[in-house]
Parts: sequence; C-alpha cells; structure tokens
Amino acid sequence: MTGSNEYKLNQGPEDSISAVKFSPSTAQFLLVSSWDSTVRLYDVGGNSMRMKYQHSAPVLDCAFYDPTHSWSGGLDTQLKTHDLNTDQDTIVGTHDAPIRCVEYCPEVNVMVTGSWDRSVRLWDPRTPCNAGTFSQPEKVYTLSVAGDRVIVGTAGRRVLVWDLRNMGYVQQRRESSLKYQTRCIRAFPNKQGYVLSSIEGRVAVEYLDPSQEVQKKKYAFKCHRLKENGIEQVYPVNAISFHSVHNTFATGGSDGFVNIWDPFNKKRLCQFHRYPTSIASLAFSNDGSTLAIASSYMQEQGDISHPEDAIFIRQVTDAETKPK
Amino acid sequence: MAEGGDADWELCKENIQPLKGGRAIAALNQALSLQEGFSSATNQHKQAFESELRLYEGDDPLDVWDRYVKWTEQTFPQGGKESNLSVLLERAVMRFTKENKYHNDVRYVDLWIKFAENCPEPLDVYRYMQAQGIGTMQASFYIAWSEEYEKQANYHKADTVFQEGFRCHAEPLEKLKQFHKGLQARVSRQVMTGMLEEDEEDAARVKEQERMSLVDLKHRGKKKAVAPINRVGAALSGKSSGLSSQGEAAAGSGSNTRFRVFDENRAVSAAPAEPRLESWMAPPTSRAKENEQRPEKWSSIKMPQRSRFGHVVVAPPSEPNFQPFVEESDQPPAMTPCKINPAVNSVLSARKPCREETPLKRLQEHSQQQASGGASSGASGGAQSGASSGAQEQSMYCKELLLSGASEFCFEELRAERYRQRVSAEPSGREG
Repeated sequence: MTGSNEYKLNQGPEDSISAVKFSPSTAQFLLVSSWDSTVRLYDVGGNSMRMKYQHSAPVLDCAFYDPTHSWSGGLDTQLKTHDLNTDQDTIVGTHDAPIRCVEYCPEVNVMVTGSWDRSVRLWDPRTPCNAGTFSQPEKVYTLSVAGDRVIVGTAGRRVLVWDLRNMGYVQQRRESSLKYQTRCIRAFPNKQGYVLSSIEGRVAVEYLDPSQEVQKKKYAFKCHRLKENGIEQVYPVNAISFHSVHNTFATGGSDGFVNIWDPFNKKRLCQFHRYPTSIASLAFSNDGSTLAIASSYMQEQGDISHPEDAIFIRQVTDAETKPK
Repeated sequence: MAEGGDADWELCKENIQPLKGGRAIAALNQALSLQEGFSSATNQHKQAFESELRLYEGDDPLDVWDRYVKWTEQTFPQGGKESNLSVLLERAVMRFTKENKYHNDVRYVDLWIKFAENCPEPLDVYRYMQAQGIGTMQASFYIAWSEEYEKQANYHKADTVFQEGFRCHAEPLEKLKQFHKGLQARVSRQVMTGMLEEDEEDAARVKEQERMSLVDLKHRGKKKAVAPINRVGAALSGKSSGLSSQGEAAAGSGSNTRFRVFDENRAVSAAPAEPRLESWMAPPTSRAKENEQRPEKWSSIKMPQRSRFGHVVVAPPSEPNFQPFVEESDQPPAMTPCKINPAVNSVLSARKPCREETPLKRLQEHSQQQASGGASSGASGGAQSGASSGAQEQSMYCKELLLSGASEFCFEELRAERYRQRVSAEPSGREG
C-alpha cells in the first residue's frame, strides 16, 4: 500500500517501461522510455506528463545530456536526441542492431551507447555526431559511467572497463563473478567500483583497482529470493540505482521488491512494500530525495497477463537510505 | 555472380574446412572477404536464427536447427570458435534425443554424424546412437560409422557395420551397397599392393624410396654422429618407429603370410571393445590419453644458479617438508564458470572444466537428468524447475528459452523478437 510519501505517476506509458532517469539538475523532471515506442518527460512534483516524443519501435533506454536535452535509442536502432525546450527531434546516428543502453559521461562530455550489434559508440553531444565505434566481444547488455571510464557488461558474463579518453584498447577485461547472465551494472558515485546484478538473485560488489588488496574486498550476496513451500524462488535483479550522497544503493527485482543496501557495512538498510509486478528500472534523483520505481512486467515468464505497469515516485528518508 | 578472375578463395584454400556436399561459392567469397570474419549482417542473421529457434511454434522444430547449422557451416569456412558450430551441434543433437519421430529423419542423423566427427571419440557416439535407435534405418549412419573404422584401419569392423546396415534394411539400400563395394575395393587394393611390395622388396627399396618421417636414423661418420641427408632406405636404422605409408604397413605386418585373407573371426588389434547391441548407457571414458602427459620432473640435471653476488644458489628442494598452512580467507572468491551452459562458457575463466568431460558424456548426463527430473520445456511462461540443485531452487523466469539456442538471449531480446513477429504479422502496422 502506498503511503503519503509515495504516489503513482499519471498518464503513464501504454506498455512496459524500459528505463526511468531523473534530470541531472533537479528532482522535478523524470524521463521515461517505454515499449510503446515513446519517450516521455514527467513533472514529478505536479504529477503530470510534460512532453512525449516517438520512435518507430520500442525504446530501450534514455538519458539526459543536460536538463534540456534527452537522448534515447531502442529497437529501431536509431539514436535520437530531443530538445525539451523546442520539442524537436534529431536523429544522431544508428547502430547495426537495437540500442540497449544510452548514458552520458559528464567528465569527458560524451554520450555512450551500447548495442546488440556488439559495439559501444561514442557521440559528441554538441554537434551532434559519432565519435567512434568500439567493438565488444559480445552483445552489450548494460553499461555504466564511472568518472572518465565506462564499464560495459555483455553477454557471456563479460565485463569490460574502457577509458573514455583512450579508447584504443580495453583497460580491463573481466569476467563477472556471478554464475549467471548479467542484468545490470552501476558504478559507485565515488568511482571506486561497481555493483553487478545477475539473472538469478545475486548481486556482486566489485572494485576497479586491480591490485590484490583492493580486489580482496569484493563480495557477492544473494537477494530477491522468496521461500515458498520449502523451495527457494530465485528472481532476476533487473535494476540498480545509487544514492548520490550516501553511496548506498537500491536494487529492484522481478519479485516486485525494492531493497536498499549499505555496501560498506554489508547490510540491508530497508525493504519497501511489494510492488504489483517486476521492478524494471530504478532511479534516485540527484539530491537523493526521491526514488522513481518502474513497476513493469518484463515478460520474464512469457507473454502472460500481468498487473498494470506503473511508475511510483517515493520520497525517501534518511532512515531508509543512510548507513547506520 | 561476380566470377571473372577474382577467385580469392584460391589464396586461402588451406584455411577452408572441407564440407561434404561442397560449399556455395557465393557464401564462401563473402565470408572470405570479411576482414574480421564478423559483419553486422552475419550477426543479424545469427540473431534471426537464434530468435527463430526460441519462438518457433510449428510442427517441425528440427528444420530451424538444420538450416541454422547449414548456414553456420557456409558462413564460417574456417570453422573455429566464432562459428559456435560445435556448441550448436551439441545443442541440436541434445534437443531431440527424446523425439522418436526424428530418430531416423535424415536431417537429424546428419546432425548426429557431424556432431560425432567433432567429438574426440566418434566411435563411441556411433555406438550410442545405435543403442538409442538413432539413425539405424539410415544408410548414411552406417556409412559414416564404417568410415571411422576404416580411418583406424579396422577393416573387419568396417565391414561388420555394413553387414549390420543390411540386416536392418537401412535405406537407401543402393547407397549402402555402393559404399560397401567401395570399401571392399579399397581393402582388396591394399591387399594387392601389399602383395606386390612383398615381391619386389629389394627393388622397391632402391627405386621407389619414400622419405620417412620421424624415424631413427643410422649415423654416418666414425667420430661424430652425423645424420645422413637421404632419409630413405638403407639410412634408416630400423622400421620400428616412425610413420610409414600404408603399403609398408601392410607388407610389414604379416611377413609370413603373403596373402591377407579377409577373416571375420580374427580380432584385429586396433579395435576397442566389441560393439554391444544392448542398451549402452555407460559414459565412455576419454581414451585419447597418449597425448596427455602427467607433469613430471623434467630432468635430473640441475643448473647451477648464480645470484647477483656471485654465490652459487642451489635450487630449492622440490617438496617442502611441512604442509604449508593455507588460510581459508586467502582463497579468492571462486570465479566459477557457468558449467550449466556450454555456450556461455567461452570466456577464459580461472577454473578449467574437467578434462574428462566430452560432449557425449554431457549428452548422456542430460538425457539421464531428463528421464529422472522430468523437466518440462514449456515455451510459454510458468516457473521452470532448476535441474541442477535437486529442485530446491526454482528460477522464476523462462530460463530454458533464454539458453535454448547456441548463444544466450536476455529478456529484452526475446521480447524484441515477439514484437517483430507481431508487427510483421499486422499488415496495417508494418514499419518501413
């Protein structure tokens, strides 16, 4: 049951939600991409949809370049940028296969996209134009920016770390320490490491520094599992988002739960009520005051009927997100 | 077709693996013209096949696998890991072991034969097939099996296989007869050349001298042992080691008997255990042990080492006389490779999979699991029982669908494929 600190967004997308992202400068605006082929901008405070633009096929990810420009890509393989002031589209470029991830790197001022065509492409947001294509060993499933580096998670449980200022070679090649497919990777705000979640109820905390002493600190834990009749039901962990101030992170799984974790003390801080269906995406606002929760069935168990997809906005408290 | 003088394939003939049935020249040229062997078109095509595998709902799923395998062979002439062919074959073969309707389908049998040729011990695979009743009505099965025996110079067994084929009335009968005649012709030719070589022993040694490889050589010269330049005939110290042409072998083996009678009752040395016709469930142990040496101390020679200060440092003793204490926390968390899914296990990982594990063993384990666990492979939703940990963990997602092809899929890819199919089915909503 939603309390007074949580409400559902009106005029939500008409199909599953693929990603939610807050504006970099304010907790007021939220960008939402969906399988109904639209990208929508919401005024979170006023609970209304401000703008909507179309792709020709479902959109898999979106990101803010700056508070007035959104970038998005999906199954139509086109990377689009949309000016939120003038409500104008521009097609920046394409991949050879659907675009799975779109992120912005402020330190290097470049947009990064990852696709199932096994490449990561960089884009200069000012012109805008392509700034390079870099092949990955496998299809890209997730990526996250950490300072001037980007961490790419691909099929085959591989993880690659690239230095965005020097894309001539891969800085680090790793294998996920989890046994199953990688669902999501998010970098720590302090850029020291990243969190990786898998399709079978596990999350790993990893560090970027390759030295032995630092690598010893890495660990993994089980989560998003439910016990029913003596059988442990294992759910995919689809979403991760970091609280920018406290360096704690939230995970969302197909069990419909959102958990908040303290990675340094290795404790769970909080678990919210169960949402109607799988959590597809999570986003903390830049000041850490608000958490957007996309409760949206992802067809993990086939194309069956499911509760309605919705986006919940929750005002989070220190008690829920601050390490104790 | 752009022929005119641009036969690029001529330049890389050695890199092209031969295919029975030949290669389509257009596909070959295209594959060779790609620098990295990977193009986006290839990837897209592969993805399309993978999607089709997962979402196929018709009566003949074997057709998709069959086309996928054939496309893979044509598109990746060099073979190799990128093609994923061995994984694909293994998957295809495993997928239908329980489907009796396919057991004698010529396409399925061909897949098995390709799979067998990829395995370290094809004979074991053929015996397994026979025990399971796969291909026993197909001539191609017996032909491939006997070819394998022939490669091992086991002509007796090779003939037995054909006899078995005739007994089972394998089809097409004419083809079986034709290949059997071919075998007989080859065998008798060998016998004839063996006979001739015996007669012209000395003459042959002098005239037709074939250079023998890997043979010990008699040395010339009194003080220093100098290897002769001509490594033929009299220069050889003996014929015990080294490779020799087949003619020599035939001549050498039976020096007393001039005429090698085709005796069915005589057991030939190279044969492994008699083919058992009862159900054959024991996993074959890996027999290719000649090339695997246990690591041993290399030699007893010790090199005197000079440290920086000019002292001679003795090499440390090889075995410590105490058991070093290993703290548990020192063990780094295991980078466990995913043993469940061979397709995913293509990444270099800290732990290597067990060497004894062959594709055939995996297949047998898989079919045993299927028989005992009764795991259903429903395509539409529902929780699937985790076969690995004894029904204590249940994966709440369509695991089989994600992993059923030769490469993995994520939820979004699967859903994207459903979307694409839905869109192409609606004429009004068709995209450009």
